[in-house]
Amino acid sequence: MNPRTKLTIFVVEDNALFNTALKADIETTFENMNVKVHSFDTGEACMKMFEELKPEVMILDYNLNSKNPNAVDGIKVLDWIKKENHDTNVIILTSDDHIDIAVKAFQHGAADYVVKSETKFKKINYSIFNTIKVLEARSEARKYKRLATGLFVSIALIVIGVSLVQFFMPSLFH
Amino acid sequence: MTNNELTSGNGSVCNFSYLSEIMNAKKHLIVGIMDIFLQQIPDELKGINEAILNSDYEITRRFAHTMKSSVAILGITALNPILKEMERLGLEASNIEKIRELSLQLNLICGQALAEVEKEKTLYN
Repeated sequence: MNPRTKLTIFVVEDNALFNTALKADIETTFENMNVKVHSFDTGEACMKMFEELKPEVMILDYNLNSKNPNAVDGIKVLDWIKKENHDTNVIILTSDDHIDIAVKAFQHGAADYVVKSETKFKKINYSIFNTIKVLEARSEARKYKRLATGLFVSIALIVIGVSLVQFFMPSLFH
Repeated sequence: MTNNELTSGNGSVCNFSYLSEIMNAKKHLIVGIMDIFLQQIPDELKGINEAILNSDYEITRRFAHTMKSSVAILGITALNPILKEMERLGLEASNIEKIRELSLQLNLICGQALAEVEKEKTLYN
């Protein structure tokens, strides 16, 4: 992986202990890379900063309204994020290992789904690694596309130039 | 629950090696997490105990759900089945007596966990 690949990650989790531990774990895992983690304890707070910070990855708790029933829940935040920027990779985090929650998360556009088990942090980091690889692959693809376009245009210009010279100054070729 | 099921084999309920692993043995992060644990768990216990006293199933369910994530950070696996059951009974809004029984175990294990964290924290100072 390219250590210069820039990545902004949002952690959105209303449990302060879990939020702090997760943020610390991600920062430690990716400390040699250009990864910046921002944590929020409500969906509303993260949506406010979304436009400004434009995260590539979001780790979003499914039950964001577990403490405050009036707060927006994880699925609503997911829907909002997908409307704002479809390319943001959202990883849904939940304590409940129910297939219907996983299905719902994917139906609403989540890129991944992680259950808060003992291996949760490893799974989240694995998901982030995969996102970095995808971003790097996209960046490489864009670079090669630009190169190919540039080459094509150059060749086209040369051919046009030679054709024009041949047309207007045929004596040059005899 | 037997004593072996309650503890992680050596008599303790917390798994500090798990915490150390996820924090990559960084002392300041480990102590930071312990500080938050020592503040948050008593608050959550207070909340769930009050909810049970008032036979409020919904609030009980919410706190049981939240505490599952909180205790997981310190690897307190003994609380998983207790909190899961409390959450289930809270969702079904049934059997407050069973919830009260479970909360006795919850308070006992949390009390022990808090004492262990206080003691472990001194090793980092």
